[in-house]
Amino acid sequence: MLLWRWLMVAVCVVAAVDGQCDPLHADSTASPAAPLAPPAQWQQALPGWHYTFPADHAAHRDFKTEWWYFTGQVKAPTTGRSYGFELTFFRQGVHPMMPVTSAAATSLAAEDAPPTHSRFTQPDFKFAHLAITDLDGRRFYFTQRLSRGAFGEAGFRAQPAPGGTTTAEEPRLAWLEGWELREMDDGAWQLHARSADPPMALDLRVRLRKPLVVHGVPGSGISEKAAGEGNASHYYSFTRLETQGTLAVANQPPAVVQGLSWFDHEWASNALTPEQIGWDWFCVQFDDGTELMLYAMRRRDGGIDPVSSGTLVAADGTATHLRREDFTLASLRSWRSPNTGANYPVEWQVKIPSQQMEFTVRAQLDAQELVLPLITYWEGATTVAGTRAGQPLAGLGYMELTGYRDALTKLTK
Amino acid sequence: MRHARRHKLLAALNVLSVALGVAVFLAIQLGNRSANESFAQSIDLVAGKANLEARSSNAGLDEWLLLKLRAAPGVRAATPLVEGYLTLPDLGPGEYLQVLGLDIFTNAPFATFSVGGQSLADAHNLDLDAWLGEPDALAVTDEFAREHGLKIGDTLRAQVNGRDVRLTVRFLLRLKDTAAGRGNSRLAAMDIGWAQELFGRVGRLSSVQLLLDRPAEADKVASDLQKLVPTDVTVSAPGQRTAQVQRMLGGFELNLGALSLISLLVGMFLIYNTIAASVVRRRVETGILRALGATRLEVQCLFLGEALLFGAVGVVAGIFGGTLLARYLLGREIARVISSLYTLVNVDRLALSPLLVGAAFFFGLGSVLTAAWLPAREGARVDPVAALSLGLGATRASSRRASPRWLALGALALVLAAICSVVALRTGPAWLSFGAAFFVLLGFAFFAPFVTTAGAKLAENLTQRHGGAEGEKFSKCANFFAPFFSSAPLRLCVRFLLQLAAQNLARSLHRTAVIVAALMAAIAMTVSISTMIFSFRHTVEVWIERAIVADLFLAPRANETLGNGAFFPAEILRELRADPDVAALDTVREIGVTVRGDRVSMVAVEGTNRNRLAFVGGHDREKQAAFYHADTVLISEPFARRYHVWDGDTIPLSTPRGIVDFTVGGVYYDYTRDSGIIVMDRSNFDHYWNDPRVMSVALYLKDPTQLDRVAADLRARFNQKGEFLIYSNRALRTRVFEIFSQTFRITGVLRGIAVVVAVIGIFLTLTTLVAEREREIGVLRALGASRGQIAGLVLGESALIGLISSALGVAAGLTLSVVLTLVINQAFFGWSIQLVFPWATLLVTPLWIVLAALGAGVLPARRAARVPIAAAVRAE
Repeated sequence: MLLWRWLMVAVCVVAAVDGQCDPLHADSTASPAAPLAPPAQWQQALPGWHYTFPADHAAHRDFKTEWWYFTGQVKAPTTGRSYGFELTFFRQGVHPMMPVTSAAATSLAAEDAPPTHSRFTQPDFKFAHLAITDLDGRRFYFTQRLSRGAFGEAGFRAQPAPGGTTTAEEPRLAWLEGWELREMDDGAWQLHARSADPPMALDLRVRLRKPLVVHGVPGSGISEKAAGEGNASHYYSFTRLETQGTLAVANQPPAVVQGLSWFDHEWASNALTPEQIGWDWFCVQFDDGTELMLYAMRRRDGGIDPVSSGTLVAADGTATHLRREDFTLASLRSWRSPNTGANYPVEWQVKIPSQQMEFTVRAQLDAQELVLPLITYWEGATTVAGTRAGQPLAGLGYMELTGYRDALTKLTK
Repeated sequence: MRHARRHKLLAALNVLSVALGVAVFLAIQLGNRSANESFAQSIDLVAGKANLEARSSNAGLDEWLLLKLRAAPGVRAATPLVEGYLTLPDLGPGEYLQVLGLDIFTNAPFATFSVGGQSLADAHNLDLDAWLGEPDALAVTDEFAREHGLKIGDTLRAQVNGRDVRLTVRFLLRLKDTAAGRGNSRLAAMDIGWAQELFGRVGRLSSVQLLLDRPAEADKVASDLQKLVPTDVTVSAPGQRTAQVQRMLGGFELNLGALSLISLLVGMFLIYNTIAASVVRRRVETGILRALGATRLEVQCLFLGEALLFGAVGVVAGIFGGTLLARYLLGREIARVISSLYTLVNVDRLALSPLLVGAAFFFGLGSVLTAAWLPAREGARVDPVAALSLGLGATRASSRRASPRWLALGALALVLAAICSVVALRTGPAWLSFGAAFFVLLGFAFFAPFVTTAGAKLAENLTQRHGGAEGEKFSKCANFFAPFFSSAPLRLCVRFLLQLAAQNLARSLHRTAVIVAALMAAIAMTVSISTMIFSFRHTVEVWIERAIVADLFLAPRANETLGNGAFFPAEILRELRADPDVAALDTVREIGVTVRGDRVSMVAVEGTNRNRLAFVGGHDREKQAAFYHADTVLISEPFARRYHVWDGDTIPLSTPRGIVDFTVGGVYYDYTRDSGIIVMDRSNFDHYWNDPRVMSVALYLKDPTQLDRVAADLRARFNQKGEFLIYSNRALRTRVFEIFSQTFRITGVLRGIAVVVAVIGIFLTLTTLVAEREREIGVLRALGASRGQIAGLVLGESALIGLISSALGVAAGLTLSVVLTLVINQAFFGWSIQLVFPWATLLVTPLWIVLAALGAGVLPARRAARVPIAAAVRAE
């Protein structure tokens, strides 16, 4: 899953270079007028990262942006209706190195040492997106929740303290005012989200059917997004998750559903470069037990950034890294959003000659655009049909299209 | 119309007097309204679209209440607010910003403004990293930025709680609702977290704003929520605070409004006079009209039309003038006084509404018509036959004798005044005390004809018998002015002249009595207000002797602009306690508490309490001692009078530890707040309120002779950037009187305007008298009177009017000052003021009134002197 959140980040990065992002609480007694210490830096996604699990499932607070991203397509056997869904938890760092403001929890009772840190000055803010595509009803529902988590109503599992025991580990990986991603005793993960407007409810349990896959050049530990050191992310996926649970949308009664999901966990600190305006991202779960992830970083001049890449996962879980020159992407049809006027390419021709793969990716429904206060993007369920080595190939997937609305170019500065 | 054109100056002055009256009335109303609206709008803006808010005294609420309220049934959305004030010493004295600490994630549905043109809900472009991540990031309004030439990225030096801080203008705040937005340019916003830290309110919120599922059921939800929150937190509609403040300001504003009417009242006398003069002057004309078949009604309408013409022009001019007066003088002055006495308001914009302009228009015209009614009727009753016959006798026809019936009416009015006073003080309503003031003025106005006749007689007798002192004085004046009118040497029988002047005065009673009454009203106002201020000042002087006793006083400088809004830094307090020069230290903390739905100040005092409060009913020592008892408070006299609570009664106060009944240990004299004060010993306060902050500090030095050294030392240590106000005892007293004078500055302006209108009145009267008497003057000249003598005659009359008015005015003023000081002040503000008379001022008043009257007589006298003899006597 890709780094559209970087767009937001760009703004502060520019400011930080100017030395204007102040280090928060660098000195706990300093007033804002006190001389500023040199700004603390976000950690960069650099080659050589060693993934360790389950620690890397938890939040990486030294990085500016991070998300836990579920997409999938499920079906209700009783009604025969199909749905696509997206549930994502985002962590957006405000400033690195800021101490967790536990001091703020103490009340005014401590008379001589009144607390100096506000609980509202959190090191990050949290938001989450829930979207359900009613594939048979041809309707798309989405909403966002946003919170700074000052009272612990939103948060993420923290990295285990060095040498600390894991006995009291937080069972939830991410939570936001009632929405949550919880690790169950049996190893399954439970997704829970509910919204009143529009009416949506999601209660899904996902089980790993294949081992996790780390993206990027094998052994590098990074997924590159642009030329230059640090312009990358740490990125791994569960490409095939068996999914069961209940889903309700609009006025339909809750339905028992089952299907497949995809999970991305990605963290990074850098944004798009000025030449980049957005990206197109695809994931496909083929019927033959293989999966594919592809992304193309789009450049302002219309070209595709050479760092764009992909990962092909074999039925046995073996991952093959695809470089830019290994695949071609061609847009077949566009859909113009009546809400934003953005033109989204909703049908694509994909060719991976080295794998003898050729297929089209089609949006199940054109109108799967999320228009939200922080960002507008297209994220939706797709069907895939084509051939591999002359044999028919089919599958279901998700597609993400960003930077098609004019505002994105403004953000990249 | 023709008439008006012929007497341009007269017409202009009439218009001017109406204009001044209307202008003052409108300006005061505008000032009051603007202050009220500015306050209401700032509350609307802060509360946004909230249906309810949970709010406490300025100790604030625990931030965890937010979660409780958000989850409560019936609540659709909740957002926390932290409010604070910054003063901006670099932008000028008195410059401040009201800062809202917002939670951008929950504020969107409430917001009445947007940041950087983006609503918070649609924060597509909002630089959240800066908003959330930069402790000094501030959003100011476009208007404020423009006014002070600020751009994004500029830094601002600000003072908060005695600290110097630097903030960066990072965002521009756009106010969505322009109606509420204008006039609130001093609103600023920043993230709630940084606001908590900046204002030292970590863990606390100023309020929680709530949107409800069903706003129509707000009352019910409010009472449900009230059960969820601690007792010192109130859940109510945000507008209730506006109502509270308006109740608090009601007395102050009503008093200003009443004062503003006096100019209009004086103006009414003048209109009466002018129309009456016109009636006399146009007797012949009227007679012809009537003879030609015009009905009485038509004639009356003609005169009323003339009055309306003056009135309309005057009212329109007055509306413009009043707007200007409010904008450049009174509006700001009223806001300043309200800020220093009651609550911080800032008037950027006048609340000029069509309704208010309409009210001024109809009110102005209404008073003009009322004033013109009687003379117009008189004009309509002119007998055509009498009017058309020539001769001196004709003009005298309308003269009246001073009827004893008027004396009786005057006495009746005074009795009514006394009744009103007693009722206003005993049972209320307070506005009845204005009735008392009105009846006093009315009573003395009824005395005017009698006093004028009597005064004229007296003057005549004095000059006749032995050319008494008064007579001498007038003759001197007449002689003094004579050279201006005639180059011929003046050695005439002054006595005769004055006799004639006095007789003239009595003869033209219909005219002169009215101007005497008008001038009397103006003088009475001057005298009574001077007396009231003088008494007040004297009382405050006595009070200050006991109230201000410490050697040095320290407070964050912001408190000068904001009232008690900033806190004293704890670390400096600690240092002061340990200072070797300091013998003892008192601290003061003010919070707002709710008493019977009103917001009342409560002051927690820690320390030696060396100030010797004076108590109502004496026993000062015992009552002072009771102050330290558990659950005991002292209350100020205005508080006691307002809420009818006295020694030994209990006052239930909502504290963070529940509602506690506090016993009143004593009622002390206080002149700081008309809304009343509750004083509590710090140990009692600490027991119930968990809030160690203080707002100001008083120091007693071990060696008071070292005052200057210690003060300099403190300035060097703590006050390098001017964060603190450091007053010595004497300087603080001086400051108190500065504020005192500032408070009464508006009163001074009103007083001045009333006198100006009255002096215009003398001028008008004399001019019309001269016009009326042209024939008579012609006869006098024909009989050999010189120009100088004629001028002297008019001047003498003028001086007599001044003198008689002064006598009557001072008498009325003294009576009125009793009403102002002992009735109105007590009924509205609950202040016991010791009535003291400024004898020097009172003695000087007749002098300068007579001088002013002489001044006003100069032009008419000159005119009289120039009356052509032949033309004037032709009729005889």
